[in-house]
Amino acid sequence: MDSAQADTPSLLARARRGDQAAFAALIRMHQASVFSIGYRMLNRRDAAEDLAQDVFLQLYRKLDDIESVEHMGFWLRRVASNLAIDWLRRASWTRGAPLEEGVEIAAPQPDEDPLMDRELLRLLGELAPAARAVMVLRYQEDRDVAEIAATLDMPVNTVKSHIKRSLTAMRGKMIGAQLVTAEELP
Amino acid sequence: MNEEFENRLRRAMRPVNPPEGFAERVLRGLPERAAPANVVPLNIVRKVAPVSAWRRFSAPAALAASLLIAVFAGQHVATRQAEREEQAGLAASRELMQALRVTSQKLDLAFEAVQHPAPQPAAEEENRS
Repeated sequence: MDSAQADTPSLLARARRGDQAAFAALIRMHQASVFSIGYRMLNRRDAAEDLAQDVFLQLYRKLDDIESVEHMGFWLRRVASNLAIDWLRRASWTRGAPLEEGVEIAAPQPDEDPLMDRELLRLLGELAPAARAVMVLRYQEDRDVAEIAATLDMPVNTVKSHIKRSLTAMRGKMIGAQLVTAEELP
Repeated sequence: MNEEFENRLRRAMRPVNPPEGFAERVLRGLPERAAPANVVPLNIVRKVAPVSAWRRFSAPAALAASLLIAVFAGQHVATRQAEREEQAGLAASRELMQALRVTSQKLDLAFEAVQHPAPQPAAEEENRS
């Protein structure tokens, strides 16, 4: 835990008293997570930024209800995921849309395959909103099944089923595109 | 295998940062936050003098007494009115009985006069002859 995270309880207390610098520090601490949930769900940077701003504005209004640092992280993931699902269900423009061009991609590491990453993200964008949210929380946020179920108000078995079906569908399409071998199937 | 595919997903889905200046843009859109309420510590809260039982119950007691007085007064007035009406009725009844008695006596006299008329005076006989 770095010093900023260790100091989060006091940041939270200061932000509750209206200290905007403290609230800005809290935003910087969680902005990558919230923005990325929006980005992976909506496939558009501008929409992801709008969503993240909306989430942090809601957080600002609800600061008095936030009980702890852990609760804040859970609350942000919950609001971001559910808001993104709502946006996807209301707007058909994002469904199946290709990954936005001009996205900054860091220089690839030796074990990375940018083409494969891009294809995986494209396939993620083809999943239904709820399944996509489950996959984002599982593989981007590294949350366990129980927490994902609590975040999305979903039974644990439904979460497990979404993960299994999504992985199978994505692997099947990757094999079809000859990006992975059949040996990687479960 | 399965795990390898999941690790590929994790790598592809690494969190990315929002565009530069994101936090500042959020701050510009924040509404005014209401100042926290001034909480007065309990130990300096001025003690309020206890309200005496008389002050606490005087108003309800006065109200209850007023209601009782109003009820009894109303009942008393109604009783007196009924008594007055009963007296007036008895007096009227007595007057009616008296009037009936007088009328009865008059009728008796008239009947007697019809049944037994008085004899003709002598002077009248003499004039005929």
